[in-house]
Amino acid sequence: MPVPGFPSSIPVSTDAIHDSFVISRDDRILVTGAAGFIGVRVVEELLDRGFHNLACFVRPSSDLAGIEAIVKRHPQSVRIDILKGNLLSRADCEAACKDVAVMFHLAGGTGEKSFPDVFMNSVVTTRNLLEACLRYARLQRFLLVSSFAVYSNRQKSQYLDESCPLEAHPELRGDAYCFAKVKQEQIVVDYGEKFGIPHVVVRPGSVYGAGKRGLVGRVGLGTFGLFLHLGGPNTIPFTHVDNCAAAITLAGLVKGIDGEAFNVVDDDLPTSRQFLRLYKNSVRHFRSVYVPHMVSYSLCYLWEKYSQWSAGQLPPAFNRGRWYAQWRKTRYSNEKLKTMLNWKPRAATVDGLRLYLQSCAQGEGHA
Amino acid sequence: MLKVAIVGCGKIADAHASVIQRVEGCEIVGVCDREPLMAKQLQERFPIRKCFGEVGELLSEARPDVVHITTPPASHFEIAKVCLERGCHVYVEKPFTLDADQAQRLVELAEKKGAKLTAGHNNQFSHVARRMRALVESGYLGETPVHMESYYGYDLGDPSYARALLGDQQHWVRRLPGKLLHNIISHGIARIAEFLTCDHQHVIAHGYASPFLNGIGETDIVDELRVMICEEGRTTAYFTFSSQMRPSVHDFRIFGSKNGLLLDQDHEILLRLRGAKFKSYAEYFIPPLLFARQHVGNLLGNARLFLARDFHMDSGMKYLVESFYCSIRDGAPVPIPYRQILLTARIMDAIFDQLRHQLPNRLVAGRSRADLAFQAQPLASKMIEPSSTGVESQSGTMRART
Repeated sequence: MPVPGFPSSIPVSTDAIHDSFVISRDDRILVTGAAGFIGVRVVEELLDRGFHNLACFVRPSSDLAGIEAIVKRHPQSVRIDILKGNLLSRADCEAACKDVAVMFHLAGGTGEKSFPDVFMNSVVTTRNLLEACLRYARLQRFLLVSSFAVYSNRQKSQYLDESCPLEAHPELRGDAYCFAKVKQEQIVVDYGEKFGIPHVVVRPGSVYGAGKRGLVGRVGLGTFGLFLHLGGPNTIPFTHVDNCAAAITLAGLVKGIDGEAFNVVDDDLPTSRQFLRLYKNSVRHFRSVYVPHMVSYSLCYLWEKYSQWSAGQLPPAFNRGRWYAQWRKTRYSNEKLKTMLNWKPRAATVDGLRLYLQSCAQGEGHA
Repeated sequence: MLKVAIVGCGKIADAHASVIQRVEGCEIVGVCDREPLMAKQLQERFPIRKCFGEVGELLSEARPDVVHITTPPASHFEIAKVCLERGCHVYVEKPFTLDADQAQRLVELAEKKGAKLTAGHNNQFSHVARRMRALVESGYLGETPVHMESYYGYDLGDPSYARALLGDQQHWVRRLPGKLLHNIISHGIARIAEFLTCDHQHVIAHGYASPFLNGIGETDIVDELRVMICEEGRTTAYFTFSSQMRPSVHDFRIFGSKNGLLLDQDHEILLRLRGAKFKSYAEYFIPPLLFARQHVGNLLGNARLFLARDFHMDSGMKYLVESFYCSIRDGAPVPIPYRQILLTARIMDAIFDQLRHQLPNRLVAGRSRADLAFQAQPLASKMIEPSSTGVESQSGTMRART
């Protein structure tokens, strides 16, 4: 929900930036995961840009308060269909994809530790949507929202951009989400190559904003009452949910970018240490211990080796692959996003973080 | 080399593949799922030779000796039947089948085909459960058990499963005869069935949707269950399934005429409960010390197992799989006697049958306590008896792998 003091509906010039979107404003747009943290903002962004024929695919159990609030804020001429269903059902996917010109696919398995569960809710569902799209042959773009989790981050330079290699063996990273996201991207690219489905992939960094709470894993891990600060001097690839939604929306609409991938991070990113300090000062104080990179790398290496040696007595939750992906010192780029999509972060990081931490503090107060 | 196949590549298949790759002398020659992507993802993560989309294709091409069935329970019977008819030995995940009749027919078919069957009651083979079994067999309890209590807690807040179930009206669990209970309680019931000595039991069951479920408008799912199981003049047992009880325990207590035992599955703790008492005030001081000593013993035992790399989360399943494969290779008895599998299925049938005849939960929602008290029905009991087919050759106590 919008944060007080931060404009929830930022005026968007509907014509100034791009006069050539892949669809007209009457065409039907499907947003999966529309009731989710980013999905709601994407829906609002599309409406703000003048697209008025939207279908929002949500789970039957989804909280629709966010979408309902958006509907109230927009004129009655806007058509928003709420489609309740399960993307594992091919019939539901076919019904949802009928006449769709652009698909914003945000739904996916998150927060689950089981590989089959996340895979099913990310990859099988994506395949069902792609198959359904083939049936109707109206699709102008399939926009997949992926994640930074797909990068191996083992490139020589500390600089991470869209040209960096993806995780070649996601099954070894011990991270079900990474495995599913790599496979999800693969299947979208495969369908693009085999069947000519025009697609674009967006990889947001750590998306924050009102409604999210807690510290991202890139900063560190809480364990046995102590917070292990692993990020240290690393830059945290934050993107405010409104900035992220704007990037996703543009990537789904702008002409001439089929087959491209875009990383989404904001400007003026804080280091892990700066963010942790802000969090402690604004939200709550707790004990933390900084673990230098050399030590965290060694611990991940030892955990990985012990996991192998003990045949999985400890699952390989920590390993070198994960260390590189999450805790290696890395700098991030949003140049491609700015150059090709003319994207500009609307929410300045300093303001976005301030309001985010305020909302975290309010949440802590209510907890 | 034993050739193994897995049918059904969902969450539990991961545990099977992980265990099988740690068992010596076997190889996963194929996995199968109607959803080819699911079969493929399992193959990519484990050393598996090939993946298939049809069971028939798997059996014809991969020619497995053993098939692990890890599909949703509604398909267990049909898939197991096909596999047994092809002469494969079959490991069926819990719940074994939808009802006792299906279980009986599978057992008969296995015997006819000279194949072996087992059920995924892996909790009965954890380190602590095996220690308990050894003590019972040594006569620690006395003669026949007098009474048992089996607690099975289930946290509905567990996001990996419960949220999916509660949010999906079409979830396969809802279509099982016993719904949520059907998918979960066999572990707790099988613990009791292992030590029941007769084939005739009275089962009295009472189930209801918890206030938590009623509060979120969920009235189809029974998540609180209390069961009493009585053998004519002999052993009795209570079974408790609860989603709301905290701590959410998985305990088993068994009392004999001499002593008792307490098994705490969650913490891998086994405590001996002395039948004899100490004199006077000694009863207040010596038993706590003895319990403390036992707890230290459990701690050291668990640490020793961990250091020996033999304390995996799924160690019970590994032992069950090893014992089952051993029974296939060496002709040893199956690790879970068929009598226990059938008895577990019959007790579950009796429970679900009684729940179906209880006040429907949706009527319960919204009524006051007084209304409920007024309308409470006397609890009916159901006598369960074995069917007449002979499975005596497999009956007996739980057999440990030699």
